[in-house]
Amino acid sequence: MKILLIVVFSILFFSIGFKFYLKYKKRYLFFESLVFLCQKFDVEIAFSRQRIQNIISTLDEKLKQNLSGIDKNYLSCMESENLIEKEKLFENINFLNEEEKNNIFLFFKSLGRTDLENQLKELKNYENKFLTLQTTSNNEFKKYGKLSIKLGIIACLMVVVIFL
Amino acid sequence: MLEKILPQNIYSILSKYVSTNALNEIRLRVDKPIVLAIGNQKFFLSDHGTTGNLKEAMCSSKTMLEDIVFKASEYSLYSVNEQIKRGFLVTHGGIRLGLGGDLIEEKGDIKTLTNFNSINIRIPHEIKNCSLSCFDFILQEDKILNTLIISPPGAGKTTFLRDFVKQLSERNFAFNVLILDERGEIDLGNKGCIGNFADKISFASKKVGFENGIRSLSPNLIITDELGTKEDIDAVCYACNCGVSIMASVHADSVDELINKQSFEKIIKDKVFKRFVVLSLRNGPGTLEGIYNENLSRLSNRYFGR
Repeated sequence: MKILLIVVFSILFFSIGFKFYLKYKKRYLFFESLVFLCQKFDVEIAFSRQRIQNIISTLDEKLKQNLSGIDKNYLSCMESENLIEKEKLFENINFLNEEEKNNIFLFFKSLGRTDLENQLKELKNYENKFLTLQTTSNNEFKKYGKLSIKLGIIACLMVVVIFL
Repeated sequence: MLEKILPQNIYSILSKYVSTNALNEIRLRVDKPIVLAIGNQKFFLSDHGTTGNLKEAMCSSKTMLEDIVFKASEYSLYSVNEQIKRGFLVTHGGIRLGLGGDLIEEKGDIKTLTNFNSINIRIPHEIKNCSLSCFDFILQEDKILNTLIISPPGAGKTTFLRDFVKQLSERNFAFNVLILDERGEIDLGNKGCIGNFADKISFASKKVGFENGIRSLSPNLIITDELGTKEDIDAVCYACNCGVSIMASVHADSVDELINKQSFEKIIKDKVFKRFVVLSLRNGPGTLEGIYNENLSRLSNRYFGR
């Protein structure tokens, strides 16, 4: 019985620690991918004036995975009557705070709405914003992500000590 | 295609109450009633279809206009800015949006058009075989005579050109046809619309399109829409000097009106065009009023009708 409880609690605490670790990692990869996305938009739009939908639908799988489905959400928003909606855009994305969501929402809302020159300026502006968020989230990941794992492991060990 | 650019409520009213086959134009102006051109008549759009009563008319809003243009650009205005700068936007399927708004100029160059305040949506229609009655007059000994299609706006010039290319292809006249589609209206993008022997250069000016097209695609016939400026006429003369036949269109109500156009004086005098086909709206778009030769004499007295 003791051993069973030790195993159950160890798994539980480790999972909680790992979940936080994944959250910070996801945030970092997400912002890193947004920066890549801005750069890709910049190149494709400046060079061949590719349409936003075409660019998004030809993103590579890894980038899509790191964008956590926001690319798909954006495309499905475009198909709907009211065009871009905040709730729909962040469907199934739960690791962003309100301020970050607002920034990202405004970024997607600005896509395709102006002429070439202004679109490229907007992209540069958002790329800088996302770079800052990427740096912050990377620091958070290094600081809290690894800490979460460590805390999970410490909690597991404490459970072992308490029960034994 | 209309369903992709219009707001859902407007599209459902149109598809429920209005025959899209007869619908020629939808005019939207900010905070003004939406006007439909059906055949030769104008109506307001209302919740229950069309109306002549202004009080029942549906109005369009600024956001509605902006969303229509955004959707028509496939959510990427920058990709169609060259068209927007010239005051129009053509979607896949040949639907043309004429745009009104604030023109932004910088150092003499137009940068873009913004704050859209009016849109004229023109819906193209196929008028099957509308060019057929002119075929024998235009084709002589396996050569296509230089032909100018004359008609007022909305009377079927582009439809005539499109049908002519299709007829050539269906009859297996393997002429290399170059369509210089300055505004993307001739080719509707659907299968078979321009046949099997046509090449296309889109959104280029006549001068650039004619020069590049003749050099790179060696056409036997160039088809182009709406001649107007002196540069257009020079491009036509250049093509004729290269031995390429031309079929073009021009805005005018009659041959007499054409003669009075200053830019056409020289080519009429030089008899560059051997045939003039006059279309009108009398019995609906595409009504053939007459065919004239290079001396501006009517070739047939019979009534063509439609």
